[in-house]
Amino acid sequence: MKINNKLIFAVAFSLILTSCADKLDVKPVDDVDAISAVKTSSDVEALLTGAYDSMTDADVLGGNLQRDAELIGDNGDIEWQGTFVAPGEIFEKTLLKTNGQAQATWLDSYRTINIVNNVLANLTVVDAAKKARFEGEAKLIRAWMHFELVRVFAKTYQDGTPASNPGVPIVTVPTAKITDANFVSRNTVAEVYQAVIADLTSAETLLPAKNSFFANKSTAAALLSRVYLMQANYDAARQAANRVITTGNYTLTETFDLAFNNPTNSTEDIFAAQGTDQDYVNSLNTFFGSTAYSGRGDIIINDQHLNSYDVSDERSNFFYQSGDIYTAKWMRLVANIPLIRLAEMYLTRAEGNFRLGGTPVGTTALADINRLRNRAGAKLYTSVDLPTILKERRFELAFEGHRIHDIKRNKQTIIKKSGSTSLSWAFNSPKLIFPIPLRETDVNKNLTQNEGYQ
Amino acid sequence: MNKHLLFSLLLFFSCSLSIIAQDRRITGKVVSAGDGSPLPGVSVQIKGTIKGTSTDATGNYAVSVPAGKSILEIRSVGFNPQSLQIGSQSIINITLVESENSLDEVVVVGYGTQKKSNLTGNVAQISSKSIENLPVLSTEQAIQGRAAGVFVESGNGKVGQGIKMRIRGASSVSAGNEPLYVIDGIPMTTSAAGSAPNTPNPMADINFNDVESIEILKDASAAAIYGARGSNGVVLLTTKRGKSGKTSINLNYFSGISEATGHRQFLNTAQYTELFTEARVNSGFSVAGGENRFTRYAVGEKARWSDPTSAKYTNTNWEDQVFRKGSINQLDLNISGGTDKTKFYASGSYSKQDGILIKNSFERISSRLNLDHKVSDKVTIGINASVARTFNTRLSNDNAFSTPLQIIALAPMAPVIDPRSGDYSNTYNGADVTQYYNPLVNIDNSSNTTETYRTLGNVYGQWNIIPALSFRTEYGFDMSFRNDDQYFGKKTVRNSTQPNGEVYKNNANIFNYNTNNFLTFNKIFDQKHDLNVIAGMSYQQSKRTSVDATGRNLPSDAYKTIASGATKAEANSFERTFTFLSYFSRLNYKFDNKYLLGLSGRVDGSSRFGANNRYGFFPAASVGWILSEESFLKNVRQVSFLKVRASYGFTGNAEINNFGSLGLYSAQNADGNSAGYAGIPGQRPSQLENPDLKWEKTAQTDIGLEVGFFNNRISAEVDYYTKHTTDLLLNVNIPGTSGFGQLLKNVGELENRGWEFVLRTDNSFGDLKWRTSFNAATNANKILNLQGQVITGGFLNRAVEGQPLGVFVGPEYAGVDPANGDALYYKNTTKADGSMDKTTTNDVNLAENTPIGNPNPKWIGGITNDFNYKGIDFSFTFQGVYGNDVYNGAGKFMSANGDFYDNQTLDQLNRWKKAGDITNVPQARYVGGNGTAESSRYLEKASYTRLKTVSIGYLLPKSITDRLKLTKVRIYATANNLLTFTKYTGWDPEVNTDYLTGVAAGNDFYSAPQPKTITVGLNLGF
Repeated sequence: MKINNKLIFAVAFSLILTSCADKLDVKPVDDVDAISAVKTSSDVEALLTGAYDSMTDADVLGGNLQRDAELIGDNGDIEWQGTFVAPGEIFEKTLLKTNGQAQATWLDSYRTINIVNNVLANLTVVDAAKKARFEGEAKLIRAWMHFELVRVFAKTYQDGTPASNPGVPIVTVPTAKITDANFVSRNTVAEVYQAVIADLTSAETLLPAKNSFFANKSTAAALLSRVYLMQANYDAARQAANRVITTGNYTLTETFDLAFNNPTNSTEDIFAAQGTDQDYVNSLNTFFGSTAYSGRGDIIINDQHLNSYDVSDERSNFFYQSGDIYTAKWMRLVANIPLIRLAEMYLTRAEGNFRLGGTPVGTTALADINRLRNRAGAKLYTSVDLPTILKERRFELAFEGHRIHDIKRNKQTIIKKSGSTSLSWAFNSPKLIFPIPLRETDVNKNLTQNEGYQ
Repeated sequence: MNKHLLFSLLLFFSCSLSIIAQDRRITGKVVSAGDGSPLPGVSVQIKGTIKGTSTDATGNYAVSVPAGKSILEIRSVGFNPQSLQIGSQSIINITLVESENSLDEVVVVGYGTQKKSNLTGNVAQISSKSIENLPVLSTEQAIQGRAAGVFVESGNGKVGQGIKMRIRGASSVSAGNEPLYVIDGIPMTTSAAGSAPNTPNPMADINFNDVESIEILKDASAAAIYGARGSNGVVLLTTKRGKSGKTSINLNYFSGISEATGHRQFLNTAQYTELFTEARVNSGFSVAGGENRFTRYAVGEKARWSDPTSAKYTNTNWEDQVFRKGSINQLDLNISGGTDKTKFYASGSYSKQDGILIKNSFERISSRLNLDHKVSDKVTIGINASVARTFNTRLSNDNAFSTPLQIIALAPMAPVIDPRSGDYSNTYNGADVTQYYNPLVNIDNSSNTTETYRTLGNVYGQWNIIPALSFRTEYGFDMSFRNDDQYFGKKTVRNSTQPNGEVYKNNANIFNYNTNNFLTFNKIFDQKHDLNVIAGMSYQQSKRTSVDATGRNLPSDAYKTIASGATKAEANSFERTFTFLSYFSRLNYKFDNKYLLGLSGRVDGSSRFGANNRYGFFPAASVGWILSEESFLKNVRQVSFLKVRASYGFTGNAEINNFGSLGLYSAQNADGNSAGYAGIPGQRPSQLENPDLKWEKTAQTDIGLEVGFFNNRISAEVDYYTKHTTDLLLNVNIPGTSGFGQLLKNVGELENRGWEFVLRTDNSFGDLKWRTSFNAATNANKILNLQGQVITGGFLNRAVEGQPLGVFVGPEYAGVDPANGDALYYKNTTKADGSMDKTTTNDVNLAENTPIGNPNPKWIGGITNDFNYKGIDFSFTFQGVYGNDVYNGAGKFMSANGDFYDNQTLDQLNRWKKAGDITNVPQARYVGGNGTAESSRYLEKASYTRLKTVSIGYLLPKSITDRLKLTKVRIYATANNLLTFTKYTGWDPEVNTDYLTGVAAGNDFYSAPQPKTITVGLNLGF
């Protein structure tokens, strides 16, 4: 009897011991194992969509890149009065190596690049009909990220020798695990521009003319016009801009205000970050919007800027008062963020045509500039020169993230009055370049630090 | 492997003994020496066997003594044990003396108990008596300052929020550092279900008045039985159980008030206008611009700041507006009793606490039933069950403009109520009035609550197979259903960004179950070999799910549900499961009452570990020598007890992400939103795999000495330990160019070393009973290796090689240049000759970051004195923390010499004004950034000593209670945090802001101070 009891017990006990072992293999529910995530064409499509989401993250094109271009390029037109430390440093042009925004911009841009590199590596499973489009979109996104990175973290193209100036690492291989190959070095500025142009040129060939609100042929051309403009390659820039304009797929909105705060793309949006009730990012609203309009009210517009417009110009009234003065471009939290508007193409074509002289591409600089002034109800010009073209660019594109890049490519000096003191920064001042984030130089000794941050 | 070996061994033992010879019967009665009352539930054992019984309700017992056995051992918690020669009597009456000697206490050690004197590991024990009815919410708060080497920190005075506990320092950088909590054998869920850093404290769901004893397993030999989760120490909670005998009913009620322990002083209107006008002038800005700003704050009425004679002149002390008198009320009722066969303990409790800040309260209603039933001589079964509902009215985290204490940033000339709107000064006609959102708007226009239902239960069965061998099986669960509700009305738009209101709801459930099955073998061979062996297994599975959603655009403020929102946005779900499968064994051997040996081991498998490292083995060994039992000391009357012990062993830390080893894709982006775009589904690679991932391993050495003098009237314990942690689970930074920021890997080492001292004295004389208990501990933490990685967190916290975890690293502030009022910093660059360049610079970017402080205390300690004189009891506890620094992350806003319009701390008036001024506060410069960089300027010594608890009570004499037909009447008053001694100038030195995570530690950021609470109470026994 006793022995029997023990036997039963022993058996029961051993059962308890063994029955649980397979329970250690718990599968995630919220996420998917990497091995089974990218198997079909629609898996790749989801990955590509994920890249758009990642590219329009707040720290990238969801607004902070544009905000920071305005802050660091400011000469007293605006005032940063927020409590966030990182944009404060950017506004003061006194970034530390630890600047949180520099780090976030770096990380999130390369995260986006890794996603599209995964798309490109998995094109073999994509339906034949979609392959060219996916490849084109992926290359465009990769180019856009590299372009923003090189503009923010490296000397501008026209500063010294781009062929030897350190740019940013070009990454074209998806990461499956960390190996020595991941400890990349900085490519030169010229190499990065070359890679960007190669990706965009290829994308322009691969992409369809229309592609819902995703990137299309014109997006690639429009980006190319920006890239060439930074290189002072005015002919290529005006040609690219002209290609976009002549598609006839885009028209200026009837009035200036209709180009902003839209829930869907306006007629002049060549590419816009999409915001829906369910899923939106709009950090331009967060920082430029007053607290009455869902923002933090951190960036106020100074009289210096307000007084620079013609009175008749509708754009001079595109501001609102909410305690302080704010721009009306970013009044809505849930709205698309125009990233490339047709107006920019006119401005680029006009600038290229004016600078090169001779037979204009498309139409004359004067006609393009007046087209925009006419839309804004501003007095039309009878003739234009470079300063008026650049001024027009400022009126039209203010607070959309072009500020510092226009200053750098035009080799302008920022002169800013702060109380009794007056400070100035040359276009190639190291203070106008973000530091390579300290975490990156700490972890990857192959990355060299920028001048002024060693 | 070893589990099978052990199991066979146990079976061998159990089969090899069992002959029972002729017995004889002994009966008697056990009474208390104090009042002669019969003592029920006293254990009466026959020495050398596990045969025995316990006394019934009237203190009587009957036991059969096998032939050849001659000694009765009588034990009852709280009384000195006795051993009696049986001789030829058949009736033996026994008188037990109340214990004054902690060495004979039984200590819960995990899967069993041990006599304290036999311990070879380091276990701190806290009895329920010492903490009952303290006016705090959770167990960790109650034991603050009462156990050596146990550091408890309430980071914030907001009620219901999590508490930090570190046992012998932090053993991990990236993984959890909180101990494992085990209640009645079941590992509890202690991490909150939400994701916000200021989450409610799951420990607050437990009414600690139901807890009989708290044991804290500190060294490896004690904690290794919990294997992969023992590195941070283990806290064992044992709930109260019934005793057979007369049913006793205990009713306790207390009520009290609370207020903030500290306040800060800010500028008044005259000082504010003076400083900011000066700041603007110094920076070349117009005076008029500043005056416009003052008038804007003063709701458009200049007289409010410019004309002290005006009736309108305003001087608002904003801090006063968010502090209030808190209150606490608690009612506890418990009933216990039973028969020989069935015992029960039942309790119910209601507690309500209103915090010292507006809109912050906590309410708990809980009950518990513990039952034990003897099915037969050999089989006992039992059940423990508790249910609780808690309701926490919560506050935003410290980093939100809506958190109450951020109100101090508002200018003093703003009236509380804006007469134009009749509402709190905030905005008027769509334009901002105050510089920042006014947190008072939240009072009437928002809510933020968490309701939790928590059920803990377990059933057990124990089978005494043969006298020496028993089998126990336990099945327990810990379920929590939590509901977070937040509502923000239209008027909060300035803070919520939602012009038409927002509602948020989160439902989170955790089902955590566990089974333990183990054998216990207990036998004394030849009077000299005392052997205790356990072996068994346990399995735990915990599943956590949650669903949350947001509704926006509500028709009016009357609508407060998601259903009413025109927009339903940001719906999310979450599901995670983890499992642990474990085999464990422990052997304790005592030879000749002098020589102690302990061996233990646990094999832990977990779903959290990588496929290549599923199981870990955690062994420990310990030895002890009771010198006082040796002949050369036995006759030294002064030395009543002397033991040395040493232990070495390994424990683990598995508090990591549930799927940290897997390569993952996610449909959520890095911000936790959809990885889709404009409604089109998307995914992204979210995590790189690491199949080699495993637990952190801590090797711990402990050497201890325990000594008792004069019949243990003075007893002391000294321990020295080292904890060496390797294979740190670290979110290692990887090049961001890879598309990933971090990878969870096992790299790096850190160590903790420290001393622990415990001294207990009994200073009683005559009718005065007076006991003192003192503890103190040092801990030095040092990171030995992070593979060169530097992990940053908080404002200036870092994990960096050669420094303690969380060390503050930053520019060293050098004061103010007397010539021009510039803030100066030491360059601290290393010169060619290796020395530090101690010259100064006014450019903070040229100042090298250097270690400037340590958030970890060098010393912690506490001292408790208990007095009892003829029914009057008095006790007090001082608790202290020494040698740590606190960084005021809000210094750059509130102590920034007028850099921006935030109201400034009073000390900013000492700013530099003219050449030659010697001061530590730089010249006031509006937006000048003069000295506002993060630096040692905002770092302060934060040592403190607190009168943690003081209580006085009076027990009515028996003659009166008898007349009232009661068994006990005690009235008492208790004060918590009554006095705080510190040089820290902030609100409270015990601070750790609730919005920073990771290596952040010791940061103050508008954090609420601790409450100072005074209660009076009544305790009745029926």
